[in-house]
Amino acid sequence: MKKFTLKWPLISIASSFAFLTFVVPLYGAALYSFRGEGGKGHSWVNYQWLIHADGFYLNLFTSLKLAVLAGVLNLLLMVPTMVYLNLKGQKFKSLIDFLCILPLIIPVVSLAIGAQVAMPEFLQNSEYELVFFFVIIALPYTYRALDTSLQTVALKTLVEASRSLGATWTRTIIRVIVPAIRGGITGALFLTFALSIGEYTITSLLHWETFPTWTVVAAQQNILGAIAISVFSFVGAIALLSIIALFSKKGARQVEVDE
Amino acid sequence: MGVVKAHSRVRSSGPGTGVLPLLPFFIFTSFFLLWPIVAVTLRSLHGNENEWTLANYRPILKSGPYFHAFVVSIKLSLVTSIIGSILGAFFAYVIVKYARGKFEAVIDSISAVFANSGGVPLAFMFVAAFGVEGIVTTTLKSLGWDIYAGHFTIFSFTGVVMVYSFFQIPLMVLVFKPAIAGLRREWEEASTSLGASSLTYWRRVGIPILFPSFIGAFFLLFAGGFSAYATARALTVGTVPLVPIIIGTLVDGNVISDQANLGDALAVGMIVVATIAMAGYIWAQRKTAKWRSS
Repeated sequence: MKKFTLKWPLISIASSFAFLTFVVPLYGAALYSFRGEGGKGHSWVNYQWLIHADGFYLNLFTSLKLAVLAGVLNLLLMVPTMVYLNLKGQKFKSLIDFLCILPLIIPVVSLAIGAQVAMPEFLQNSEYELVFFFVIIALPYTYRALDTSLQTVALKTLVEASRSLGATWTRTIIRVIVPAIRGGITGALFLTFALSIGEYTITSLLHWETFPTWTVVAAQQNILGAIAISVFSFVGAIALLSIIALFSKKGARQVEVDE
Repeated sequence: MGVVKAHSRVRSSGPGTGVLPLLPFFIFTSFFLLWPIVAVTLRSLHGNENEWTLANYRPILKSGPYFHAFVVSIKLSLVTSIIGSILGAFFAYVIVKYARGKFEAVIDSISAVFANSGGVPLAFMFVAAFGVEGIVTTTLKSLGWDIYAGHFTIFSFTGVVMVYSFFQIPLMVLVFKPAIAGLRREWEEASTSLGASSLTYWRRVGIPILFPSFIGAFFLLFAGGFSAYATARALTVGTVPLVPIIIGTLVDGNVISDQANLGDALAVGMIVVATIAMAGYIWAQRKTAKWRSS
């Protein structure tokens, strides 16, 4: 009963605070971005500028492409690794723990400078080099997301059941484990995608052009336009991730009920 | 552990033997993570004539602009991670406790976006809201409160603290939510059935269990704030001297130092500070793991 008395005060404090810190700046920026010519009235002029600006589609496409590739590569690398680790890789656990935390320890600026020194020429000449570093930057989050959800399922029992029914390892991973840890996989994918699409540090220090670095350059011509871009990317990212979240929750419910 | 051994004996074939299945991971991280770190460290130990030297580190250790940059960076990360961890923990609690289903999913994705928005859009958004001509500024002014009356500007230390909190709080929510969600209902039930009040439960069970995770998350936020680059870069244009910004200007060639590899030494210096913070994180993680396993 006690919970009921606390529930609404807590929710209202949290929501009003969230409103002040997160909604107000976003709303303020959105209002600003709808200002017309010379700061007067409301119009779509900044968004029109944005869409017609040189390089808008090109850089947006580049960022989306790199983010998708990073998300896919991340899962291909990490799902088998994490499953194996939780099943029988225990003796490597602390080493892998460490390697996955390392990208948080190493400041991205330092990693970028290291990349400049260490990467072979052919990689440095291709924008796809960013995909690898996006995966590295996302590693700590992917690891957490996958590890947490792997620990909530009875992995060994699932594997044992599947294998004793004659399923191959690949089939076991794809048909049994992946659905069971769908929440973790979606989380990992989210984070990688969100990190990659907004990544600025490595991209700019390695002198590549993606959507975020293009924004900074574009801002120098038109600050209202740059604010429009910011609102666009925030709202776009939230909408996109929410859709994915809602979509994947639907599929994951079956598994959650089973637990 | 005994169970694990039994399993591996039953299935000696398949991709489940030895280090082989982990090889892709090890190769990937060695090449894209470890090798760059080693490479930058090695180059930081070389002078202009490619000779071995410690000279690149001297400007960091004696008082001067580079030393000062480290002080400011550390101060900024401390302040924002204190704000972020306390408020974020509160939000995480409310979300875990009361948000359900689709709503929770949406909050999750919003947190993910905000937490990872330590980027350029954030800076422009805050200019639009809290800049001299910003919406919030002008609204408050019309209500009689001129936030620019004092020393405040969005481009100052306080301004950067505000902006950083914007991603530190949601990051805390993301990191700390699993810890709160991991509090088992049985623990609360057990403690209640033994006659404990809700307050006693939190004081004797809840907070002690969550504390290591909280401290761990705090260090994580510290390291994140310390390394953040994009927002400060776009927002301050160098008015607040932070180490990453200085490295950036050295890399872009906007500032020429007579020491060619000074930027490498600064980068390694950042790694050192962040390592100390993350040692705290790892220590706290161990404590958390102990709770979970026992």
